[in-house]
Amino acid sequence: MADRPGPAAGTAPPRGGAIEAREARLAWGLVLPALATVLLVALFPLAWTVWESLHLHDLRMPWLGRPFVGLGNYAEALGDPRFLQAMGHTLLFTVATVALELGLGLVLALALNRAYRGRGLVRAAVLIPWAIPTVVAALLWRFMFDAEAGIVNAVAMGAGFMDRPFVWFVEAGAAWVPVILSDVWKMTPFVALLLLAGLQNIDASLYEAARIDGASAWRQFRHVTLPLLKPAILVALIFRTLDAFRVFDLIYVLTGGGPGTSTEPIALYTFNSLLQNLRFGYGSALSVLVFLVTFGLALLYIRFLGADLLGGGE
Amino acid sequence: MNRAARWLPVAVVAALVLATAFPFYWAVVSSLTPEARLFESPSLLPGELVLDHYRALFDERNFWVPIRNSLVVAGTTTLFCVTVGSLCAYALARLRFRFRGLVLGFILAVTMFPQISIVSPLYLLLRAIGLINTYPGLILPYMTFAMPLTVWLLVGFFRQLPAELEEAAMVDGASRMQAFREVILPLALPGLATTGILTFVYSWNEFLFALSFTLGPERQTVPVAIALFRGQYQVPWGQILAAAVVATAPVAALVLAFQRRIVQGLTAGAVKG
Amino acid sequence: MPGRRSAGPSPVPPRHPRGRPAAPAAAVSAAAVSALCVAAVALAGCRAEAPGGPAVVTFPGSAVGAEAVVLRRQLERFMEARPDIRVISRPTPDAADQRHQLYVQWLNAGASTPDILQLDVVWTPEFAAAGWILPLDRFAPDTAAFFPATIAANRWDGTLFALPWFVDVGMLYWRTDLLDAAPRSFAEVERAVARHVGATAPPDTAGGPVPRYGFVWQGARYEGLVTVFQEIAGGFGGRILDERGRVAVDEEPAIRALTWMRDAVAGGAGPRVSPRTTLTWHEEEARFAFQNGQALLMRNWPYAVSLLATDPDSRVRGHFAIAPMPAAPGGEPTAALGGSQLAINARTEHPEAAWAVLEYLTRPEQMLERAALVGQYPTREVLYGEPELAEALGVDPAPVREIIARARPRPVSPVYTQLSEILQIRLHRALTGQAEPADALADAAREMRAFLRKVGLAPDGEGPDGG
Repeated sequence: MADRPGPAAGTAPPRGGAIEAREARLAWGLVLPALATVLLVALFPLAWTVWESLHLHDLRMPWLGRPFVGLGNYAEALGDPRFLQAMGHTLLFTVATVALELGLGLVLALALNRAYRGRGLVRAAVLIPWAIPTVVAALLWRFMFDAEAGIVNAVAMGAGFMDRPFVWFVEAGAAWVPVILSDVWKMTPFVALLLLAGLQNIDASLYEAARIDGASAWRQFRHVTLPLLKPAILVALIFRTLDAFRVFDLIYVLTGGGPGTSTEPIALYTFNSLLQNLRFGYGSALSVLVFLVTFGLALLYIRFLGADLLGGGE
Repeated sequence: MNRAARWLPVAVVAALVLATAFPFYWAVVSSLTPEARLFESPSLLPGELVLDHYRALFDERNFWVPIRNSLVVAGTTTLFCVTVGSLCAYALARLRFRFRGLVLGFILAVTMFPQISIVSPLYLLLRAIGLINTYPGLILPYMTFAMPLTVWLLVGFFRQLPAELEEAAMVDGASRMQAFREVILPLALPGLATTGILTFVYSWNEFLFALSFTLGPERQTVPVAIALFRGQYQVPWGQILAAAVVATAPVAALVLAFQRRIVQGLTAGAVKG
Repeated sequence: MPGRRSAGPSPVPPRHPRGRPAAPAAAVSAAAVSALCVAAVALAGCRAEAPGGPAVVTFPGSAVGAEAVVLRRQLERFMEARPDIRVISRPTPDAADQRHQLYVQWLNAGASTPDILQLDVVWTPEFAAAGWILPLDRFAPDTAAFFPATIAANRWDGTLFALPWFVDVGMLYWRTDLLDAAPRSFAEVERAVARHVGATAPPDTAGGPVPRYGFVWQGARYEGLVTVFQEIAGGFGGRILDERGRVAVDEEPAIRALTWMRDAVAGGAGPRVSPRTTLTWHEEEARFAFQNGQALLMRNWPYAVSLLATDPDSRVRGHFAIAPMPAAPGGEPTAALGGSQLAINARTEHPEAAWAVLEYLTRPEQMLERAALVGQYPTREVLYGEPELAEALGVDPAPVREIIARARPRPVSPVYTQLSEILQIRLHRALTGQAEPADALADAAREMRAFLRKVGLAPDGEGPDGG
């Protein structure tokens, strides 16, 4: 790290106090290595993706060359039913998992907020699914939903719900069950912890006052907890939405997008176009579209919560 | 009613903990069950337990290789990001300069970057400079999520430290950097450790880049190796589950050991999940 | 004003189809990378190759199982005979789709290793057209000794690009303890399943296990599904591409074939002809079901014959036989041609050494050893007349030879894998009940035609431009 030359050319002109100018120079010297890294590995490739998306570039067919096709790839995407379906699947996954995770997470957070012995242990236990690789989580659930060896079918048959093994992964609707359940299992703890932090910031005296006024538990929740928890809920909501929109690992391992392509999310379709079919032009156009949607969501996020998160910025 | 109110949360927590723990229990039990019995009607209680799958995992499949790859990649990424990121975060947290808010906003925006958007140029770039299927060829892309993450977390930690500490040191004649090194860094050590742990966990778990930029078992990381176990042969569920247990163990240990810190880091920075 | 623009943003020019990115981009990135990764670069994979030593060629092969053992043994013998050549085996995934992706990435990256490639039969035209593999004619291989169909499948533009290593054909496995003869038509398949599977099945008298599945095949969404479809479509008189290379998958016989497959897994009253889980199965899941006596009929490649006949865990030893796939009136029994080919990376630094390995591995005695240990069928037709082959396989190779002689190659096209992917998705949708077979195939045909037109390979219409 010592080999990186500092920004010798001062970026800020020595206006105002010399101390301030020196501090600004120092600041840029400290910020630049990290900033340059991020620019180089994230922003520069993004620009390249945009450029790539304007070309027909198919690595498997080198004889086609790499002609400029303008917005041709985008036009193809918008007329590509598989792309539109993948967008639909992504939306379905996002809405279903985020709703379930917020609901269950809130219940879990409220329960965890009571003081009792062993709370630290419980917190650690529920945190483990969040911390393990998504690939591993997906495999655990795939195994549990296996038609032959799966515990789900075994229990369901034992309880008399089915008379022969149900093949979850060949039914267009049923294949979503393990997909959504596994994500809820993995990510609810994270949501719960975010909400728990919000709950712990609520001043206990507010409940005290409400109780003196004779408010029922439900009214306390409705009029004290929920309004004060709103920022935390919003943070969780937006993080989970952004994350769910990018879902890849989970579905790659669980269903591979099948049966047919009925559980294929947009990130998986993009990946397949890029690295399975090596259609770099078209895949890049899909990447840009994914980016635009995510970026839109992120802008919403910064708009709603920017003041909180960037606090003290100016 | 009062009793119900007291016991309800406990029951909810117990139920959710059980639901959380069951897949792990099932994975461990299944990974110890002989292959032939795995496909006979499964029962909740373990029968005969054997270590066959673990032996096969390390002897036949040489699972040490992906573990080594993951350690090298996640470790290097973490070290580099925490070192460079702490300088950046300190400046963002404490120094005044133009565009500070902009830089911070930019870094936050990058944490929300969809990885898939930059896979294609990174692939072409790494291919052009001959880094496909190498360690740097993974560490470099990992910076895209690890660097913003560390900076973002560390800004939060540095802001929590009282500013009077360095001011006092600087009044005593220390330079800004001396104050940073000798006053702030030692105090921020827990924060650095937490950031390091989180960065390591994210890097250890990363899948898309590792899948895209490695070409063979010699450089595959743990998640990729496990996901690609399925081959021409019967899905070797016993070995897959054994590998899943092995891949889970280190992160589970980290979480159990540092859960308080991790929760603080997660909720303070409200990082991506 | 060119001088002023010299430092301007210079986007990547479409210079050369396999070109590198423009110099500025590469330079910027190279500089940045070297600055960033000072520590990490030391860890980069380094190739160990002593200068002046033996020529080192790498060979990607299976990492596990009997196949790895045979390969290792044969390569060791080869190195004893040729001390001037060292062969390094490089483990690769066994699943064909994964291996294909890996190869394309390697070759695209312009890698000179692996020097030797193990190709699926349908990849040869693709790799040849892309210029990734060496023409083999200059080494003058004795092509006359091989099955003509296997040689034809490895030619592109009249030039031989790969040497057939072992051959695969799709065939029907049936239970001799339960059936008197192999079903020869799809109606006979249905009748056999109705009689022997499910609650009404009579208890088995000949000592074999009672099956709970009827006809199992490879129904997961992957290349295997296309081969099964090709065979059943052939049985109804249909095909994927016609002899002029035009898409024919939406014609009536193909639709009838897919409808039969869909009905087989959908099931109405009574037992299904095929279990629904077959739609998640590859070769090995089907083999395990048949080997455990759970299935009455199976479509699979020949490798399963010796496993089923000799594996101590096999519960159908002595209770099964093979036959050509069934056919309906108007069609004929059809076997898809599969198997493995050996080719040489066009960028190899040691073409002669690589050829020596190829030549050695495709010799009759190596093929016999593969047959004995892995159950893979030789591509040299002459071997089928020798008693050694029957001995090596443990079963009479004559029926398989007959099926091979009539096997039909899959469409020979440099874009076969793309066409296959389009088809896989549509087939799987129809089989899982998301679309009607006729609609699914109409969609597939439309997409395939559009794709061929787009890449300039449409047989009629625009015609190929800019080869």
